[in-house]
Amino acid sequence: MTDPGGGAPSPDAYPVALRRRVGALGWWRSRTVRRCAFGYALLAPAVLYVALLVGVPFLFSLYLAVSNATVGDPVAEFVGLANFRAALESTTFYVALRNTVVFTVGAGVLKALLGTGLAFLLAQPFVGRRLVRGLVVIPFTLPIAISVLGWKWMFDSQFSVINWALSRLGLTGPYGSPDWPVWLGEPYLALLSVMFVNVWRGFPFSAIVLLAGLTSVPPEVIDSARVDGAGFFQRFRRIIVPMIAPILFIGTAFDTVFTLSDLSIVYLLTNGGPDGATEILPTLAYNTGIRAGALGRGAAISLFLFPLLAPAMVLLLRTLRRRQW
Amino acid sequence: MSASRPPAPSAPLGRREFLRTSAVGAAGGALMAMLDARRVPAQTRGTSLRILMWSHFVPAYDAWLDDFARKWGEKNGVRVRIDHIPHLELPARFAAEFAAGAGHDLIQFAGQIFTGQYHRHLVDLSDIAAALEKKYGKWMENAKSAAQVKGAWYGIPDFYIAIPVLWRRDLFAAVGLGEPQTWEDLRKAARLLKPRGHPTGMQFSHCNDANHNWRALLYCFGAKETDPSGEQIELDSQETREALRFAKALFDEGMTPEVFSWDDASDNRFLASGVGCWIHDAISAFRTTQDTNPRVFEHTYVVPEVAGPGGFKWNVGEPNVWAIWKFSKNPQAARDFIVYLADHQREAMEASRGYNMPFLSGHYRKPMPGLGNEPKLAVLQEQYKITAFFGFPGPMSPPAQEVLTTFLIPDMFTRVARGASIEDAMKWGLGEIRRVYAKHKAG
Repeated sequence: MTDPGGGAPSPDAYPVALRRRVGALGWWRSRTVRRCAFGYALLAPAVLYVALLVGVPFLFSLYLAVSNATVGDPVAEFVGLANFRAALESTTFYVALRNTVVFTVGAGVLKALLGTGLAFLLAQPFVGRRLVRGLVVIPFTLPIAISVLGWKWMFDSQFSVINWALSRLGLTGPYGSPDWPVWLGEPYLALLSVMFVNVWRGFPFSAIVLLAGLTSVPPEVIDSARVDGAGFFQRFRRIIVPMIAPILFIGTAFDTVFTLSDLSIVYLLTNGGPDGATEILPTLAYNTGIRAGALGRGAAISLFLFPLLAPAMVLLLRTLRRRQW
Repeated sequence: MSASRPPAPSAPLGRREFLRTSAVGAAGGALMAMLDARRVPAQTRGTSLRILMWSHFVPAYDAWLDDFARKWGEKNGVRVRIDHIPHLELPARFAAEFAAGAGHDLIQFAGQIFTGQYHRHLVDLSDIAAALEKKYGKWMENAKSAAQVKGAWYGIPDFYIAIPVLWRRDLFAAVGLGEPQTWEDLRKAARLLKPRGHPTGMQFSHCNDANHNWRALLYCFGAKETDPSGEQIELDSQETREALRFAKALFDEGMTPEVFSWDDASDNRFLASGVGCWIHDAISAFRTTQDTNPRVFEHTYVVPEVAGPGGFKWNVGEPNVWAIWKFSKNPQAARDFIVYLADHQREAMEASRGYNMPFLSGHYRKPMPGLGNEPKLAVLQEQYKITAFFGFPGPMSPPAQEVLTTFLIPDMFTRVARGASIEDAMKWGLGEIRRVYAKHKAG
């Protein structure tokens, strides 16, 4: 009994007993197993990539965090939770923790609001829309060091173009007067400034993600809702958001990770100063672990990002999975 | 009778002793011969040498050094490549190279000194240090800890950056003041000149300048970071309190809040713009003013340092130290290059326009290149006598380095300037500093 096409007989063509034997001996030949194996083979590079580039460094940082490793002596002794205790004993750590939360939540909310607004604007038909869509992503595509140095100049205490413009418009006093803004010098202004640069750089990304979602919503659904009398906010809340929720969740997850672990903006603008006003966990970890050479304590500080990030990610991904199933 | 007798003076050398003596003699002889010949031995020919260092604040110096290294390489058959990167990125690069066990052959610690952290993985350069001292005079005592660990040299100090006072003679004269001699003179000038639109400024922020400027004030007021061994913290003193009190008054009377946002170059621009009446910074600010604002430059003068109330005068320099990884593929060429550069220290000083200050006393022969021929800068020719480094009077140890890189001392001053009480700032700062030292002591 061979199949009409020739070649190997199909297992379905055998009598039941023989089929059982074939099944017992060649289970791996079954279509399901082969499909599974093929699927895992396709997945393997991604899993390997995550394991090597995320898993291994994460495990290594766990090892460092419970050791007294220094930059010159990475093979070190086990010190238990001493590095975590050392971080918790430092007042600078609490300032950095507070700033990290404010920075991440504040910048995240602003990026969501501005990104949504921009996405709706870019979704409207207008002349030059393609060009504008290309231009708005420039902040996100520029090398971060270059764009942040540009902002550093714009926030300069003496030559800030923003201040000179504000002063010319009569909104602030002249250079040297008490109401001349010192963007990176006043504690709250400094934190706002670094958040602003993060928002400036990140909200085009939010807008593009949202725009991708918006374009996937069938126009007839929106038109029907409009005919039924739904206003803009009702359409947005009841139709658009539920339909593009998976994209929104993924975008939020990415943005939260990027913001929480953003070292460059703060490092280049203020290096955590003045007096810790802009210190965040990544800068504190870097200055302690790399610049001061205390790798163990630096790793412990950076691991405090994990409990901050993990619940948010679990919540987002669980919500996403529920919606998918 | 089993008692051993001491060897007679004429006893023949043992095999090991003979080999050790021969090796030391041969190495020393070769080094001295090389120093005299100013030429590297034949075994480095056809090799390559990779150097990692900072981007110098005087760009012309980098150009000179690149050319200098290229010519040395051509002469000796060594392909030389120098990578200049911003000084703040160096620590991460060192850590990455060390973790990988590969990278540059010759590295330079700039401002932040990692000799203590990495010494087990650096080549012992004691022979070069001794040979250079023999040739060019004594090493500066305060600088030895930048390169030495337990008496052995794991680095060779290249140069340090002096941080003098740069002041405007015309503005001082306008309020009836002459050359400042003390911190009190500087405070008075700032107090009188701020209302005229010419405040002063020192960084209350997280940058290198903040670290060395406030340390200079501390040391001039007689305060000490640690004892000479570097084991005991000695900041909890009346002198520290007086320095903080003075800083608060100096800020209130003579500065504007912009100093809270300054980076290392802000005060250079502040002086060059014609606004600042004085700043406390390296002579790169002097050169910037020379290049960008000749009118202001005409009235800008230099004082090596001003004295505190007890007459103490300590300038805080930034050391730059060469080191060679043990995993270097070409340690011999790296050693040869250090020696060759040390032999051309005077050319290097000239190329840096007086910015690079030497560590060896013999190089202070007047007139010093880059300084001696410029009347305004000639006052810096005895800077070695008043130069200290972070951790003073203790060594530049790993805990002192951590206190430096986490900006604890500038932050103490910032808190006081912003209105915190001196006792609160001291309590916070000392708590953090004690925690750092305790962690290092615990290992």
